[in-house]
Amino acid sequence: MFKLDQYKFALTASAVALTAVVFTGCMEGTAKASASTATASTGKVWPTGPDIGGGVSYPMVGDKTGPYRINDEAHKMTLNHGRVPTKAELEAWDVDINAGYVYQANPNETGLPEGSGTVEEGEELYEAQCVMCHGDFGAGAGGKAGNYPALGLGNAEKLQKTLTNNRWLDPEADGPTRVFGSYWPQANTMWWYIRDGMPHPFSKSLSTDEVYALTAYMLYINEMSINGELVDEEYELDREKFIAIKMPNENGFEPNIKGPNALADVRAYYADESNYAGIRLKDPSERCMKDCQQESVKVVRVQHGGISNFNPPLSAVRDLPVEEAKAIDVEEEYKNSCAMCHDGFLHVKDPMWAGYTEKGMDKVYENGINGTPGGMPAKGGSSLSDADFKLVVDYLINGK
Amino acid sequence: MDNKKSQEDLELSARRDFFKKTAALGVTALGATSLMASSGASGDGEKEILHHTKWGQTWGDPVTDNLYGVPSKYEHRVTRRTTPLLASGNYRASIAVTPIQESQGIITPNGLFFSRSHGGTCHVDPNEYRLMIHGLVEKPIVLTLDQLKRYPSVSRTHFIECPANGGQEWRAVQFNSVQFAKGFMASAEWTGVYIKDLIKDLGVDMKKAQWMLAEGSDNSEMGRTVPMDKVLDDAMLVWGQNGEALRPEQGYPVRLLLPGWEGNLCVKWVKRLEFAAEPWYAKEETSRYTDLKPTGKAIQHFYANEVNSTVTSPSPEIPWTDLEDGTMVEIEGLAWSGMGTITGVDLSFDGGKNYVEAKLKGLVLPKSWTRWSYMHKYKKGEKLLLTSRAMDDAGFIQPTVDEEVFGPGVKSADFGKDKTKGMGVEAIYHRNAVETWEVTETGEVNHVQIRSI
Repeated sequence: MFKLDQYKFALTASAVALTAVVFTGCMEGTAKASASTATASTGKVWPTGPDIGGGVSYPMVGDKTGPYRINDEAHKMTLNHGRVPTKAELEAWDVDINAGYVYQANPNETGLPEGSGTVEEGEELYEAQCVMCHGDFGAGAGGKAGNYPALGLGNAEKLQKTLTNNRWLDPEADGPTRVFGSYWPQANTMWWYIRDGMPHPFSKSLSTDEVYALTAYMLYINEMSINGELVDEEYELDREKFIAIKMPNENGFEPNIKGPNALADVRAYYADESNYAGIRLKDPSERCMKDCQQESVKVVRVQHGGISNFNPPLSAVRDLPVEEAKAIDVEEEYKNSCAMCHDGFLHVKDPMWAGYTEKGMDKVYENGINGTPGGMPAKGGSSLSDADFKLVVDYLINGK
Repeated sequence: MDNKKSQEDLELSARRDFFKKTAALGVTALGATSLMASSGASGDGEKEILHHTKWGQTWGDPVTDNLYGVPSKYEHRVTRRTTPLLASGNYRASIAVTPIQESQGIITPNGLFFSRSHGGTCHVDPNEYRLMIHGLVEKPIVLTLDQLKRYPSVSRTHFIECPANGGQEWRAVQFNSVQFAKGFMASAEWTGVYIKDLIKDLGVDMKKAQWMLAEGSDNSEMGRTVPMDKVLDDAMLVWGQNGEALRPEQGYPVRLLLPGWEGNLCVKWVKRLEFAAEPWYAKEETSRYTDLKPTGKAIQHFYANEVNSTVTSPSPEIPWTDLEDGTMVEIEGLAWSGMGTITGVDLSFDGGKNYVEAKLKGLVLPKSWTRWSYMHKYKKGEKLLLTSRAMDDAGFIQPTVDEEVFGPGVKSADFGKDKTKGMGVEAIYHRNAVETWEVTETGEVNHVQIRSI
């Protein structure tokens, strides 16, 4: 049922983009690699096709894909297992909240339900269920480990401007602030995630109105506006207002993934490796093998011990684990090692034991541990320690 | 004359004998010394050889023990490891990383496969498992686990790598450990079904459908958007991992596998696939798993993990402190690329100034871990900077730290001047610059970076 021709066309377009890539190979050195070794000389191992992510794919050619053999007949067949879901089943699971309101004429596509909630209600919910992890006013770092994510750190528009901060020249400089208001491209993400993933230990426990209330509070702590109106403490958020939210950083992302041309845009983006500082060689022999560094480089070591609180601590030693002294289950040990005989003779709490214990417990223990000529095996055949076996003897005589 | 000659001959032969004996003695003495030194034998020899062992004189375990086998007790330190700095507040939104310093070959044992979740490892009842496929299709379907397994299966060896592997070290080197510096990944043979086979009968609207949502059934309902190109190429739903069912940490009973792409995209405990014209903006493709560049723009939908490599032996965990002078030692490592197949690995002894070619060994598979090797004669007291650099059949080669941060081809005097060049240091994800181990005079191994700033 696929219209495969259309897909093939898309692949061809992408292949053209791939071949148009500009070579930006080894720049610092002069000596090039010799193309002597078989592995490194061709750069191709199996037939490849383009891949949307900038790499290659391995199309099915005959009964092979890359190095793998396939049952090509199996992959040509149409199989139809399973059944069609009921309307109620579809409605129960098809509840994702997408960003349909941004790019479609019909905002009904978003999946966002009707409902409403105020900032005040949101704050109350936040104080009761969220603050212990996300901190006061969503500032983060409330948890035990100290790094629960922050949700808002001030004015979203202002913080969005920090996204060009980069500590690449000065490690001590101010970095970018990436929180909901300053960074996230769409608001649907917040609504969807609060409903499905929060509160973390009790997810999917909030009502629609509560999600609106908490979302309103998120907008409030990020000092955001909707249709020019500041979301203040009195603000009530509803579905209509929600779909009017414009995130300050909506256009802060690449490649384009919106609209009917999205996949072609994505293919073109990754075909150009300069978009992600990749280095692509036309041929492996072009890579630098000698004198490949600029003079500015130095050896940078881990400072102040770095991060080393690992659990368990690093060790390559091969030894036996330290066994923790474990309390034995005397009843269970009795069943495994003693019951086959003692259920019939000198059973648990049998009054007959008195005839033996009057000679002193030491003798009873001794017989138990070493066995008796009458057929009692040492420790009943168990591998318990003497101390543990004595506990089983105690149980046999006195019960629990 | 005859007499003289014979005298000379005698002298000569005596000298020959002397040299022979000395040489022989020398060899024996040397051999014995080095053997003694390396094994610690003294007197008659080692007790390990001269005496019976405890395990050789007593019964072993009956076959009724460990009906599902476990590693030797002596291997108890070979485990995944965690650190509080890699927990988003608690250990249910966190990661436990794979001890790649102990990894053999290109398969990770299931119990050591790195574990990352956003709401904890969930335990799905396979009897209650349902998969729903719907959206822009003529015929939506639901499948039970048994029904899913009726489609023709394929088995593929692929690594799965968290795109944050090495991502803590954009600004500075932080982990003196290969497990933490590079162990946000592991590799397995996966068995499952191509999604393109699953949807053949459903009438996908190929004019409109550009994206597929894969949604998990865990506490966080973790979901990601996947482009149709990958769906129609090699995307799989897998239930098998190294010959057995997926481990709970890997999404039992079914996870998405997008060979070579971000581990986060390989949604675990997957319950729903929906096809649509527009993407979703799920949480883990907005707030996280986006790469902020110096321009202030961030890469969203960054799919493939780029070509990468590391030395695994020696490592900070397993150094060369025990090596004798002159020992021939194998330098070994892993190379991998989500863009394609590894075609070669180069090794540098001076931190990336000069390279020699290493040998690939074992199976060389697409989007898979690939082993590489180089034999080195160790000189006691030598100081080395071991750097590996891999290439793949998509043409990519690993950048230096400087090249990745400031852009390929940019001279150090121009660093930071053109914001469109380089990834900067705020990206977090998709870091694939070369790694360097410093071997000190005593054979200790430290993680370092060779960089200008």
